[in-house]
Amino acid sequence: MILIIGAEASGKREFAKGLGYAEKDFADAALDEKRVVYNVQNIVFDDPDRVEALYNELIKKDVVICNEVGSGIIPVDRKTRLGREAAGRLCVLLAKKADAVVRMVCGIPNIIKGEL
Amino acid sequence: MMTLLIGGSGCGKSSYAESMAVRMPMPRYYLAAMRPFGEGGMEKVKKHRLMRSGKGFETIERYTDYASLKLPVQGGTALLECICNLTANEMYDDSGSMSDPVERVLAGVRNMKSQCGELIVITNDVGSDSAGYDLSTRAYIKALGRINMELAQMADNVYELVAGIPIVLKGELELI
Repeated sequence: MILIIGAEASGKREFAKGLGYAEKDFADAALDEKRVVYNVQNIVFDDPDRVEALYNELIKKDVVICNEVGSGIIPVDRKTRLGREAAGRLCVLLAKKADAVVRMVCGIPNIIKGEL
Repeated sequence: MMTLLIGGSGCGKSSYAESMAVRMPMPRYYLAAMRPFGEGGMEKVKKHRLMRSGKGFETIERYTDYASLKLPVQGGTALLECICNLTANEMYDDSGSMSDPVERVLAGVRNMKSQCGELIVITNDVGSDSAGYDLSTRAYIKALGRINMELAQMADNVYELVAGIPIVLKGELELI
């Protein structure tokens, strides 16, 4: 499994397409038979308590794409705060398991674990 | 040696810091700057306590004024968590009035550095999100940004934690 992280609109999906995946392979914040899932942070924010179950599903994918959402002022709102924290923790777990971790910064891939 | 760890929420800063600290000389002080304030604060403090248990840390809870703190034993290891809390604590007093925290925070870290063989400092990246905050929050973001820059100058190593992976911004990676 390859984990691709980065800010919103940082080129994560474009990079995944460069790995050989087409639009039909991408699932938007949904767990189905598709090989690539993106907007994983949205799944976490919907239910921050199900990170473990989510992790077990995500490690079966070829590519997992998640926004980095932990920077900035810590939100006062409990649900947002926990969602943000849980998305970060999930990425830590996924990164441990991943064969490679790619962090996108303005369209430029930084391979921070493994190789492609 | 001083190591500064920066990153957003949930990026693995605390656990990385602890895995560094447990290989460093005793005594190991955990300098807790977070006021267990409100529901979110208490949850976080509990989680961090659980993570640290059995790792040989002596916890010193101190929310302000590290400049006058004398550690019981000099020359050991200290892990200071977190500059984002310390900055807020130094910035707003109990009555809610505000003052510039930059010099007080920096003097505190300098004092800790002078008493430790190894100092690990955790801070947070609070400057990378949307605009539109009120004046007081903007002042906090600016103060913490300035503090982070100064701490990076003081530190031998600066790592950004991304999904639990340390990215070297300054110095070298000490393999753990």
